[in-house]
Amino acid sequence: MSNTWQSPAMIKRIARRHAAERRFRLVGLGAIVLSLLFLAVLLFIMLKNGLGGLDWEFLSGSDATNADAAGVWGAVKGSFLTMLVTLLLSFPMGVLAAIYLEEFAPRNKWIDWVEVSINNLAAVPSIIFGLLGLAVFINTFNLPRSSPLVGGLTLALMTMPIIVISGRNAIKAVPPSIRNAALAVGASEVQTVFHHVLPLALPGILTGTIIGMARALGETAPLLMIGMRAFVATPASGITDPSSVLPMQIFLWSDEIDRGFVQNTSAAIIVLLMFLLAMNGLAIYLRNKFEVRW
Amino acid sequence: MTKAKLTARNVDVFYGDKKAIDDVSIDIGNGVVTAFIGPSGCGKSTFLRTLNRMNDTIAGARVTGQILLDGEDIYDKEMDPVALRARVGMVFQKPNPFPKSIYENIAYGPRIHGLAQGKADMDIIIEKALTRAGLWNEVKDRLTDAGTALSGGQQQRLCIARAIAVSPEVILMDEPCSALDPIATARIEELIEELKDRYAIVIVTHSMQQAARVSQRTAFFHLGKMVEYGETSQIFTNPREVRTKDYITGRYG
Repeated sequence: MSNTWQSPAMIKRIARRHAAERRFRLVGLGAIVLSLLFLAVLLFIMLKNGLGGLDWEFLSGSDATNADAAGVWGAVKGSFLTMLVTLLLSFPMGVLAAIYLEEFAPRNKWIDWVEVSINNLAAVPSIIFGLLGLAVFINTFNLPRSSPLVGGLTLALMTMPIIVISGRNAIKAVPPSIRNAALAVGASEVQTVFHHVLPLALPGILTGTIIGMARALGETAPLLMIGMRAFVATPASGITDPSSVLPMQIFLWSDEIDRGFVQNTSAAIIVLLMFLLAMNGLAIYLRNKFEVRW
Repeated sequence: MTKAKLTARNVDVFYGDKKAIDDVSIDIGNGVVTAFIGPSGCGKSTFLRTLNRMNDTIAGARVTGQILLDGEDIYDKEMDPVALRARVGMVFQKPNPFPKSIYENIAYGPRIHGLAQGKADMDIIIEKALTRAGLWNEVKDRLTDAGTALSGGQQQRLCIARAIAVSPEVILMDEPCSALDPIATARIEELIEELKDRYAIVIVTHSMQQAARVSQRTAFFHLGKMVEYGETSQIFTNPREVRTKDYITGRYG
């Protein structure tokens, strides 16, 4: 028997397996390097073009017709206010919907239909939400055009299904034994959910929420439809004032003929990326802070 | 037996269309340990869960027949399952402490039921529950540690303490030792012996030796029916039914 394992054919076979192992590692590493390379190139070009324009005047100024005078503050503030409206609406709505569907909804055809609809809603192209926002919020309810209020409402519609889906997954991941434990000492179902299930699901819900918010932050198409592409020279002082948002500002500047705006465009992209980085950092921080160790 | 604590009459349990329990009638006494034995899937855990209405939380589960706790119908519209579960506590197969401190694990039940007036009162409840569960000396200096950091046997005793803290009248135990080593199992069995004077205890177990050691009365379940119920010594030494005899002699199960 031992001859089998020492035969030249077997030794060759084992060597071939080791080689295949090494090849796979190299290919996997290559895939990572390649994808990071794109990010590196993007960052390099943006920093090269935009870093020179990234000064206090740029950060604190608003849009202007003159590239030197134009700043990004109006758009940053607009993005911030829009995100605030989106968060305040989509987070409670999304979490409550997720809790109801996961913990309380009866299992029937009607609920199946609701589930399919929410999953479909998450896949609807964002421009459609823009049209919906235009038709409902502006044309029907006469809310102010170009405002962070309407922008936030529209993006909330888009973000809510993402929060519902990630929220349901986080709630589903809480072990049933915890629910049993709470019910068995006489907690009601609502107490069980709010005292035990929700706190344990919170890190997952927050991560999903921030990913949804980050997507909404970079969204441009639906905001085009509700008129957030206007030239706005003064930062919005409230959620009903006309305003721009960061991705829209980037889009508008990239369209300018004046060469001076190339630097502005890149600088605004750096600001947007910083914004996103901060949000993702917050997601990781919150996840670690609320994560329960078993 | 003196007056029964729990009385079940003609109880059927359905999961959807499937009948899991078929016409079970049993009297469960106060101050004794009653063991449910039988092969896997025989319905003993399902029947146990009807006694504190934990089956209510399973979609599609339906219970018919009558179950009385001290003469009160626990499936009556007037009966609040939340209050019932405080009176009929439950300990599960796998220890399931909340991912909170030892103190908070036990304080949760008394807090939601408003059983403690202030912190000092709560401290007394916690010490009493942990003492009765035989855990006080091991954890009294680290009540703020995570309950999940305890050993498996300690976690199960913590779960028993958690059930005791809301002053139940009945404690249901669903294979409480199946995830524990023999030493931890022995501790739980001693504990059951100590607790049986204060509470009616019902224990589901896969281990016939355990049923013989801890219980005074034993019910044998098979295929959703209760085949035989009687004094534990009689069931194990002189069963009336052939199926009971076959099971306890290891013919099947």
